[in-house]
Amino acid sequence: MALTRSQKRTAFATVRHAILIVWLLIVAFPIFWMVSTSFKPDREWFAWPPVYISDDSTLDNYKIVWAGQSEYTEHVQTQSLQRPWEALGNSALIAALATTLAVGFGSVLAYGVSRHNILSEGRMFQLLMLRMVPPIVVVAPISIWYAFWGLLDSVFGLVVLYFLTTLPYAVWMSKSFIDEVPREVEQAAEVLGASRWQTIWEVVLPLVRSGLVATFLFILILTWSEYLLALLLSKTEVVTLPVELSKYQGSTEGRVYGRQAALAVGITLPLILVGLIIRKHLARGFSFGMVRR
Amino acid sequence: MSRIELTRLRKEFGPLVAVRDLDLTIEDGEFIVLVGPSGCGKTTTLRMIAGFEDPTAGEIRIDGRLVNELEPRDRDLGMVFQSHALFPHKTVAQNIEFGLRMKKVAAGERQRRVREVADLVRISHLLGKMPAQCSGGESQRVALARTLVTEPSNFLLDEPLSSLDAKLRRELRAECDRLHEELKKTFVYVTHDQEEAMTLADRIVVMRDGIIEQMGSPMDIYGDPASYFVADFFGSPSMNLIGGEVTGGDGRPQFRGGRFVVDLPARFAVRSGPVTLGIRPEHVRVGAEGPIRDTVKLVEPLGKDTLLYFDVESARPFVAIVEGLQLANFRVGQPVGLTFTEDNIFLFAADGRRIADRA
Repeated sequence: MALTRSQKRTAFATVRHAILIVWLLIVAFPIFWMVSTSFKPDREWFAWPPVYISDDSTLDNYKIVWAGQSEYTEHVQTQSLQRPWEALGNSALIAALATTLAVGFGSVLAYGVSRHNILSEGRMFQLLMLRMVPPIVVVAPISIWYAFWGLLDSVFGLVVLYFLTTLPYAVWMSKSFIDEVPREVEQAAEVLGASRWQTIWEVVLPLVRSGLVATFLFILILTWSEYLLALLLSKTEVVTLPVELSKYQGSTEGRVYGRQAALAVGITLPLILVGLIIRKHLARGFSFGMVRR
Repeated sequence: MSRIELTRLRKEFGPLVAVRDLDLTIEDGEFIVLVGPSGCGKTTTLRMIAGFEDPTAGEIRIDGRLVNELEPRDRDLGMVFQSHALFPHKTVAQNIEFGLRMKKVAAGERQRRVREVADLVRISHLLGKMPAQCSGGESQRVALARTLVTEPSNFLLDEPLSSLDAKLRRELRAECDRLHEELKKTFVYVTHDQEEAMTLADRIVVMRDGIIEQMGSPMDIYGDPASYFVADFFGSPSMNLIGGEVTGGDGRPQFRGGRFVVDLPARFAVRSGPVTLGIRPEHVRVGAEGPIRDTVKLVEPLGKDTLLYFDVESARPFVAIVEGLQLANFRVGQPVGLTFTEDNIFLFAADGRRIADRA
């Protein structure tokens, strides 16, 4: 049976949509599960068959995690270790500083690479390879040096580390956006009397702004959710949210999933908020300019 | 006053020599066209004048002032790019205003001049639009306006029309000509299109492999080509060029090539040996009688003229132009006689140089 062209198109579209819907479910399920668990009372965390949406939704998890309410007197000791608001503050400060530095330096470096070939292709590739090194390989020497320099458990120590480890991404991503700005557009500005800085400020920056915003969000997500380095380089004084998350393990009942879910929602929400605020840049930025004329 | 002098200008890209020791003086108010095939160095030359490429050697002077070390913005130039290079995030008005803003012209004055120049290139209705909303021809007019508004003494145009369709190209070509007439500024125009060169230029500079092949008025270039390359490059349809040999040497030279045997005028200072004979299609007379007999291979009516193709057993078909729509008078397979008007025969030596007339 031969299909007509329009039937074929419909069939392809159906298959394509089916695949995308399945993919969406796979991606969205953990998020749904996190949110749903955060509202479940204790007995439903491990219930079988699983409870998808609790009939006795409760805010207890949020109250205990974020408002410091304590139900169990026997947990006093662990409770005192948990400081989610402080962790949120640390995470926000560290992620914002490191990301701003990475995107700031990275985009300037990327401009130099794109326009003046200050790094050869080989060097650029090495830069990216640097990032392929598993963090566990470098964490031991870094801890030793950090201990030596007194950088353990400090905001500064983590900012420097996150800045340096995300810099390659910042360079690569922003370079792809800068590459798209035709050189002739810059030269047109130059010949019309603009100085180098005026050209960058008036012409290049507005054209790559969306891309830089996308780069910013991407790196913010990386630094915001980084766990391993944060765990090993600072776990008592300067605690970040992902490390804080690992502390919600009761000594008697194992993992307290509801509490962890409530904290995880708190970790996720700020990123979603940032994403919403800058959403108009994202569609353009994450398509790597392919939509742009 | 503005005079551009290039002295032994040279540009190398690694092992590649793009421009070889070029000497050229462009007079004030002149419309000069640099023309040649891609890779001949014409755009590189223009970009060196603009200041986007640093010469490997040689001097660039504008009004006697050495500008090699000056930034593009300090050279008193305007440039129009092949890609238009409009600022996509600014409106047409803001695009045009940009140069004035950089030169710190007051806001009121800026608006007046933007309106003035928009009128001049007829884009007043576009001022509020974004470049993405403009067609190719409109974009190029905006690019022209953006350059004109700063009133530079020299205009550099890098294949400004090559991204446009044929009709628009003719229209904007006329526009360029009109602007040059009105402004009386120096125009340096780069193109690979011989027709643009012929119609626009006061003086054509034909470039090839980084050197100037020939320089002169359009009539010189067309009527007195210095080499096989120039003869072949200019004219549409192009000159008939037939490879062959000269016999008879100094006495009564005769050309034999393909199916042709042509008695050459005695004016040629030519020895026996291999040559290429060139004759433009409009200088071939086609009639019932003529010293060269052949049959029509193909008839191509152009409307105003008719092209007749002949097979002469050379690499390219041989073409003659007859005036008017001559479908009734010439048919495929019809035997005719061809006469070459003697004054318009060119001979080129094996190295491509033109063989001179005996003075």
